[in-house]
Amino acid sequence: MNPSAAWRIVAEREISTKLRDKTFLASTAFMLVLVVASMAVPALVGSGDKTEVAVVGSPGAAVVDRADQLGGAVEPTQVADAEAAEEDVRAGEVDVALLPAQDGYEVVGDASVDTPTLESLREALTLQRLEVNAEEAGVTLDQLAEGAQLTERLLDPAPLPEGAVWALTFGFAMVFYITAISFGMVLAQSVVQEKQSRIVEILAAAIPVRALLAGKVVGNTIMGLGQVLLLTFTALVGLRLTGRGDILAEVAGPAAWFALFFVLGFVALAGVWAVAGSVATRNEDLQQTTLPAQALLFIPFFAVLLGSDRVIEIASFVPIASTIAMPVRMISGDVPVWEAVAAAGLVLVVAAGLIVLAASLYERSLLQTQRTVTYRELLRGR
Amino acid sequence: MLRVRRLTRSYGDSTVLDDVSFEVRPGRITGFVGANGAGKTTTMRIILGVLAPDSGTVEWDGSPLTPELRRRFGYMPEERGLYPKMKVRDQLVFFGRLHGYGKEAAAERARHLLHRLGLAERADDVLETLSLGNQQRVQIAAALMHEPVALVLDEPFSGLDPHAVDSMVQLLRDEVTTEVPVLFSSHQLDLVERLCDDLVILSRGRLVAAGPVEALRRQERPRYRVVLADDADAAWLRDLPELVVTDVDGPRALVELAGTESPSTLLKRIVDRARVEEFAPDVRSLSEIFKEVTR
Repeated sequence: MNPSAAWRIVAEREISTKLRDKTFLASTAFMLVLVVASMAVPALVGSGDKTEVAVVGSPGAAVVDRADQLGGAVEPTQVADAEAAEEDVRAGEVDVALLPAQDGYEVVGDASVDTPTLESLREALTLQRLEVNAEEAGVTLDQLAEGAQLTERLLDPAPLPEGAVWALTFGFAMVFYITAISFGMVLAQSVVQEKQSRIVEILAAAIPVRALLAGKVVGNTIMGLGQVLLLTFTALVGLRLTGRGDILAEVAGPAAWFALFFVLGFVALAGVWAVAGSVATRNEDLQQTTLPAQALLFIPFFAVLLGSDRVIEIASFVPIASTIAMPVRMISGDVPVWEAVAAAGLVLVVAAGLIVLAASLYERSLLQTQRTVTYRELLRGR
Repeated sequence: MLRVRRLTRSYGDSTVLDDVSFEVRPGRITGFVGANGAGKTTTMRIILGVLAPDSGTVEWDGSPLTPELRRRFGYMPEERGLYPKMKVRDQLVFFGRLHGYGKEAAAERARHLLHRLGLAERADDVLETLSLGNQQRVQIAAALMHEPVALVLDEPFSGLDPHAVDSMVQLLRDEVTTEVPVLFSSHQLDLVERLCDDLVILSRGRLVAAGPVEALRRQERPRYRVVLADDADAAWLRDLPELVVTDVDGPRALVELAGTESPSTLLKRIVDRARVEEFAPDVRSLSEIFKEVTR
């Protein structure tokens, strides 16, 4: 038999075992629900009705209409008098009431008044009063406002609003972190399980240990990537369905790069996870032996989330950290393609190196079923 | 033929195998015997390539064993191991495929073996739901999946009741063709005695005896057990010429022929003087041989 087939059979087993694992299926379903909910809930809430403002007579209604034109999302509801208005507010029939007061108007709310509503009503009222007062003074509003124009000019306009960039950064970081940790643990556990159930000796007698490692890495990478693609695809479809096509157009490119970096970063770490499994003798040992792999994920995760632009720029070239940092840079601004390619190349080199190192450590530690091997022993080549 | 030649292996300062050579002949079951820590498992692991020797070689038909050939060996390690949460059939198919079987062929072979083992109905059950005895059967089926060219079984019968041992032995006899050398280790000497054609005995990492069981049993001088009737005292046997009496206990005696006399003349001389209840060649038991060579 050609040796290339062995790793494929191992990978197939890893995948089919995972696909029958109820815990895995449940957690995937849960994440899908989360993604769908995070798309659907704001869309449902956001498209809600305008804030209803009870008014008495047409001057009040005019102010509310003006506020609505200014983007305040308010609409007037006529009521008979101030008392009726207050009753409606108390009963929740309307959100607030706009009533004439001593020197202008008052906004009446039940327990509190929503700040944007208050601001938009204030702005509308101010403008309206200015207009009236200007007319009385014999000038127009434009004349009054002359020289008071404030406009905005961006030297390096961001393609997306800051909030969206942050949300996506967080999203990419979380997806990579969670997927890499969970599939890394799965990989380490499947190695330990084979050691613990002693099956590893039969496997090692049947196929080269390297083929076993390769099969595990490939199988779990495919599963991890599959899960990420499923979630990403759901999110992208969600953006489209909720009318955020603008974000979709900006995100599609970085998302594709993210998938590429994900595979490279994941494979680079997979070897580390496998070795973490092979030095352990029992599942309980994994907490300790997986620390290096966890640190390799943990540090870049926080560096990207909390670091300055400069830190992120550096991180975007550091293998594994680049999985998060590079796509994030691409979302928040233009990144020359060569930089992305160079970063990808760096991960590739490091991944290859780590896998080769992992394979030799794995071969050395795998058959030590009696005790936990320390990393120091392994690296010394005992 | 499988041959190990001058295997040496040490862990740290302790030498677990010291210049061990023996052969496992095709079509014969070779028992591998030794106290705990004698080096049996280490030898078997080296044969399977799971462990590397410090020096020495494993040969197949006169040339060093290649990894390709090694993969056609069947192996059952002392530390049993299968996937606890995998279905019995899937498990066997997986191992068949690892050894180079196609999907269909592996499924067919698994069906055949499970049927032979009386586990056909359990094929779709998860391994850990089977009794330990049945798990052991699945384990041996896994070793036989790829119709191995040689079989190495480390303590294959430990923990089995006598019926299970019988059915496993029967399976081995049926599934293993006459060209296949079988090496199996065991602590149960009576079992080894019953099953083995050849014997290899290790003691503290050294080979102390190897060869056909019959040859090892054979004495320098043939020995006979004599039991006189009517509880007559057998002490007078000491006075007979050309006879060495090694042990007397009431009417029982163990005697060795010292001269050229045949057993029938000896018997005649005894019968002339007393009534004999039993006269039989005394064969050394395996445990005697074992105790003697590992002393």
